Amino acid sequence: MTPEYALELRGVRKTYRGFALKDVSFTLPRGHIGGLIGPNGSGKTTIIKLIMNLIRREAGEIRVFGLDNREAEIEVKSRIGFVYDVPGFWDDQSLDSQRRALGAFYPRWSDDTFHRLAREFALPLDKKYKALSHGAKSKFALAMALSHGADLLIMDEPTAGLDPVFRRELLKRLSALLQDEGKSILFSTHITSDLERVADVITFIRSGEIVFSLTRDDLLDGWAIVRGEEQVIRELDPRLLRGMRHRAFGVEALVSDGGAARRVVGSRAVVDRVTLDEVMVLMAGDHAHAA
Amino acid sequence: MLRNALRKDLLLNARHLWGILPWFVWVAYAMSEPDAGRITAVGAAFVGALMATTIAAREDKLRTSATLASLPVRRRTLVQARYVVSYVVGAVTYLVVAAMAAVLPWSVQRAAELFEVKTLLLTATLASTAIALLMPVVLRFGLLGVLVFLGAFQVVGVVLFVAADFFAARSGARLFFGTIERGVVALYSGLGQAGPIVETALIVSLSVWLSFRLSVFLAERRDL
Repeated sequence: MTPEYALELRGVRKTYRGFALKDVSFTLPRGHIGGLIGPNGSGKTTIIKLIMNLIRREAGEIRVFGLDNREAEIEVKSRIGFVYDVPGFWDDQSLDSQRRALGAFYPRWSDDTFHRLAREFALPLDKKYKALSHGAKSKFALAMALSHGADLLIMDEPTAGLDPVFRRELLKRLSALLQDEGKSILFSTHITSDLERVADVITFIRSGEIVFSLTRDDLLDGWAIVRGEEQVIRELDPRLLRGMRHRAFGVEALVSDGGAARRVVGSRAVVDRVTLDEVMVLMAGDHAHAA
Repeated sequence: MLRNALRKDLLLNARHLWGILPWFVWVAYAMSEPDAGRITAVGAAFVGALMATTIAAREDKLRTSATLASLPVRRRTLVQARYVVSYVVGAVTYLVVAAMAAVLPWSVQRAAELFEVKTLLLTATLASTAIALLMPVVLRFGLLGVLVFLGAFQVVGVVLFVAADFFAARSGARLFFGTIERGVVALYSGLGQAGPIVETALIVSLSVWLSFRLSVFLAERRDL
C-alpha cells in the first residue's frame, strides 16, 4: 500500500541548552509542497536536521514515505534531495569532481539531468567551488539535489541569496516537479511571498512548538486581520485571537475565522485578508496567542 | 558503499593529502645520512597516516560533514573509509620513501632493508597507534579535536622541559623521553621473534578495533 504521507512527524523532541523542540507533529501529504515558517531560532533548521538524521531525536517518530528515518536511513536518504541553508561542499574541488564523488552514492543518480541543470543554471563545472558566487553555490546545491530522482525535496532556506529572477524560476520549477512527477517538497523560508506562490501546506513554528499546520487556502482565505479600536477588538471571541499589536490608529488583530470576526465587528472595524507576512509578524510578536 | 566512500575521500581530499609533499624534501635529504633512511621511512608512514586521519577535520572546517551525513550511506561506512584511507596513505607514503631510497643517487639507504619484516611491523605498529589514538578525537571534535590533541602533546613537552629547567629535574625529562626511545628500540628488537610479533599484532589489532568501535559510536551520536 502506498503511504498517504511523504513526511510524518509525531511527538518529536530535541533539547539544546536554552532551546527545546517540544512534541513537534505535522504531516506533508504526498505530492504537496509544504512550507515551514517561523522567526529566527524557532526550530525550523532543527526540524529539517532531525528529518535528515543529522541530529538525534530524543523522542517521537519521523517517517518518510512510511519508513522510519533511522531504521531505513539509506533508503530514506536516497529518496530525499536535500539543500542545506549553508551548502557545504569542498572549496578547492571543481563542481565536476564533486558531482563524480557524491553522485556515486545515489542509486538513481542521472548525469544527464545534472548536466542539463548545470547548463540551465549556467554553472561552470570546471571551476572550483570557492570561485562561485553565493547564488551559484546555491544553484549547484540545487542541481545536486535535483539530479538523483528524489521523491521528496527538503530545502532549508533554498531561496536565500538568489536573485528575484532565479527565485521565481526556481519556484516555477518546484511547482512543475510537483505537477509532472508527483514529487513532494518541504522547504523553510523567511521569504513568505515564495510560500504564498507555491505552498499547499504551511506550518508555523515558534519557540520550538508548532503553532499551526494548515493548508494555504484555509490560512489565507479563513484567517483575517481585524483593524479597529481596542474596545471593538476586545468583543471578539478570545479563542479566535491569534495575535495582536497596537498601531497608531488602534489595534490590529489576527483571527483564525474571518467570517466570525466580520459578524461580531460589523462595520465598526476593517476585516482584511491576511498575508503570510502579517501572520509571521503578529504570531511572533509579544501579543501572540497560542493556537 | 565503502568503495564510494573511499573514492570520495581520495577524490575530494587529494589536495589535503598533497600536504605530505614537503616531508619528502626532508626524506630526500635524510637519505644521504647513514642510519637515517630507516627511521625516515617509518616516520613517513606515520606522518602520512596522521595526515589522512585529519581529513575529517578538514571536512568539518568546510562544513561538508553535514553534506556527507545527508548522503544515503551509513556513518559507520564513512568511518570505515577513513580508517582504510589512513592505512592506504601510510602505505603509499612508505612505498614512495622506499622508491626514493632505490632511485636517489646520494641515498645510502638500501631499499631492500626497508622491506624487512621487523621494519614493516614497526611501521605498522606506529602508524596504527597514531590512527587509533587520533581518529576518534577527529571524528568527534573535528578540527578543534586535532588542535587540542596535538596541542596537548606540545604543551606536555614544553611543561616537561620547563619543569626540568626550573626544578633541575632534567633527569626526569630525560627519563621520560628516554623511556619512549628505549620502548621503540625494544619493540623493534622484539619484532624479530615470533612471540613478541604475535603479542604486538594482537595488541595493535585490539587497539585499532576498539578505536574503530569508539569512532563509530561517537560519529553516530554526533549532532551536525
